[in-house]
Amino acid sequence: MRLNILFGGQAGQGPNFLTHILGEVLVKLGYFVFYSRDYQSLIRGGHNFNVLTFSDEPIYSNDSYIDILVALDENTEKIHRKNLRKSCIVLKGHKENMYYAGRLFKLLGIDFKILEGELKNIRIKFEENVESAKKGYQDERKSICVLRFKKNNSYFIDGTQGISGGAIKSGLDIYYAYPMTPATPLLVELAEKQDKENIFVLELENEISVINAAVGSAITGAKSMVGTSGGGFDLMTEALSLTGIAEIPLVIYLAQRPGPGTGVPTYTSQGDLNMARHSGHGEFQRIVVAPGDPREAFELTSQSFYFSQKYKIPCIILSDKHLGESYYTLTSKMKVTKSIKSTKLKRYNSYEKDKYGSATDNSEIIKKNIEQRNKKVKEIEKDVKKFEQYKIYGRKNSKNVILSWGSPKGAILDSIKDLNCKFIQLLYIEPFPKEIKKELENHNVVLVENSSTGLLSNLIAEKMGIFIDKKILKYDGRPFLCDELKKEIKKVLK
Amino acid sequence: MINLSTSTKPTWCPGCYNFQILTAMKNVISEQIDGGKKKEDFAIVTGIGCHAKVFDYINLNGLNSLHGRVLPTCLGIKIGNPNLTVLGFSGDGDAYAEGIEHLVHTARYNPNVTYVVHNNQVFALTVGQPTPTTEIGFRDKTTPEGVKIQPLNPLRLMLASGASFVARAFAEVKQLEYVFKEGIKHNGFSFIEVLQPCLIFHPDKKYREKIYSLEESGHDKNNFDGAWKKAGEFDYNVAEKIPVGVFYQAKKPVFEEQFPQLRELKKKGIGWVDIHR
Repeated sequence: MRLNILFGGQAGQGPNFLTHILGEVLVKLGYFVFYSRDYQSLIRGGHNFNVLTFSDEPIYSNDSYIDILVALDENTEKIHRKNLRKSCIVLKGHKENMYYAGRLFKLLGIDFKILEGELKNIRIKFEENVESAKKGYQDERKSICVLRFKKNNSYFIDGTQGISGGAIKSGLDIYYAYPMTPATPLLVELAEKQDKENIFVLELENEISVINAAVGSAITGAKSMVGTSGGGFDLMTEALSLTGIAEIPLVIYLAQRPGPGTGVPTYTSQGDLNMARHSGHGEFQRIVVAPGDPREAFELTSQSFYFSQKYKIPCIILSDKHLGESYYTLTSKMKVTKSIKSTKLKRYNSYEKDKYGSATDNSEIIKKNIEQRNKKVKEIEKDVKKFEQYKIYGRKNSKNVILSWGSPKGAILDSIKDLNCKFIQLLYIEPFPKEIKKELENHNVVLVENSSTGLLSNLIAEKMGIFIDKKILKYDGRPFLCDELKKEIKKVLK
Repeated sequence: MINLSTSTKPTWCPGCYNFQILTAMKNVISEQIDGGKKKEDFAIVTGIGCHAKVFDYINLNGLNSLHGRVLPTCLGIKIGNPNLTVLGFSGDGDAYAEGIEHLVHTARYNPNVTYVVHNNQVFALTVGQPTPTTEIGFRDKTTPEGVKIQPLNPLRLMLASGASFVARAFAEVKQLEYVFKEGIKHNGFSFIEVLQPCLIFHPDKKYREKIYSLEESGHDKNNFDGAWKKAGEFDYNVAEKIPVGVFYQAKKPVFEEQFPQLRELKKKGIGWVDIHR
């Protein structure tokens, strides 16, 4: 069973609330839910929609076709008509979102008491909501299935919560940010948690101030983190370079959206791979990790704190809108990597410095400093071995390899289930796992990436001289969908 | 008296007014250390330019930071450990060109940070280009026709931005010691501009003869309108009289006192570094 439900309407009509309630309930019942959000850069009006896909087995993506359409306004049906299955059930003609919650619960054969319980937990407008939902439940005549409680050991979170959880459990003290989609949800998430977790969250006048304040806090020994998206990251790169020479531990959350320029602010992309690897002047060490689901977001954030503290370097967590703002149902536990506070206040310098921390242009000292910093590369390459730098899924002996990183992971896992291929997911961009060479050499490799040129193929060519010419690329700001991707993979592997 | 000197030999030009600023600041800090403070209680931050060499000549913790980014770094240090006495140093390029947004916003935030701007009205370390406070008519290789743009009045900018302490001094040890002491004593953001002629690229405009003391002339530093008027007397072009001293001082909510997490650190006398989770 795999059903896709689309909730569409104008911004402000509350499709998120509706999607989330159904998602939460389905997960509690023991089903696997994935939902993504498609919204425009506006506050009221326009067309926003969420697609919720659920199944009785693990899933991590949506499909292009719709089984149930919830239309909160008239436009929704028109816009999505071409994606509706022949059998699609359309719920429309009413305005309140809780009315649709009632109808949906009846349609899916879920006991009304469960919905009532959920609404009670939310507390806001309880009586009004229940009344509206009850009416919907009564108005809906048929049920297409009966969903009852199965065993349940799963949790339902988005990528942002993965990052925030990983940061908090790793001892985050201070988070600085300037609002920018799609990194803002992390600012909101951490701000809400700051009292309970005794952390400090602050919005400053721009990204330059944000990262320099984080540098200031980091040199006092505080575990510091900043978050932004492409344009904001561009502004931060001078100070990123400063953390390199001054050896300051800092964790940077980089949530990608389509660029260049302002691009398409509320959509998704993987176009910043090179920026994460190369930004900042001069030669310095960094770590770049790329989670593909909320659990990896948690664990790689935790590992970023570990590496940044241990080696006093910047660590960049490369995420995107699709991972950050989509909800996943996960079962395995999230692992914390412990890190100690390594830094204390002393004399730091953006210049090459002597043993007293003062600026120097002495040739011997410059050389020594650089060699001492470069030495970290080897140490990190050794240390990183204790973590998974890449993962292999699917048919391990197949000569067909799907290669990817980041958020396409979900659609790839769902689409290759009965295909003759394996999937290699890169978790560490820097340091790059050289062992991956044997998995790619003499294999039929296909790169899947949310970009127009296939940036990872350049990295693979640079690191190991392997040239990938088969690429499945998507660069319309939308994430990969399971059924469409499956067709494309089949076509390429033929 | 504690010795705050480093082993680095100063590379400022002989007779540079930066020596006056360095000496005055070292005297004021030494006095505080003699009075019971520890060296470790201080953090200094500098930008990039001639002024920034003070970092190498004062043996205190901190960061010789990037051009223009002194104030966010100071704010970050204060948030990292609110018990530290944080002193920022900038040139006029740092403060009024590259990083002017931080100046405006830090005045709004009002953290308990003292900020000294070495204003020599010229980019000296890059050999003599005009800055936002260079007077109309100034010529150098990059402005053969002369500067055409009206200079910025930083004191008025600070007053308009809500700074709770605004002062100016000429680069002379005695005057500087007074404003530095007052600035450090003030609970909130202390903006101190130092008029510091550059012997090479922006020689003395007889400022020393034109200055007069606000304190001696009976100026009321708690009066905003009076401060605004006094701040307008010198427009950074030509001047007859240049007021120096404390223009304005007001009690305003202090940044780090408004957040429970930071108040708690202050109460316990610790920084985030001391919190182990």
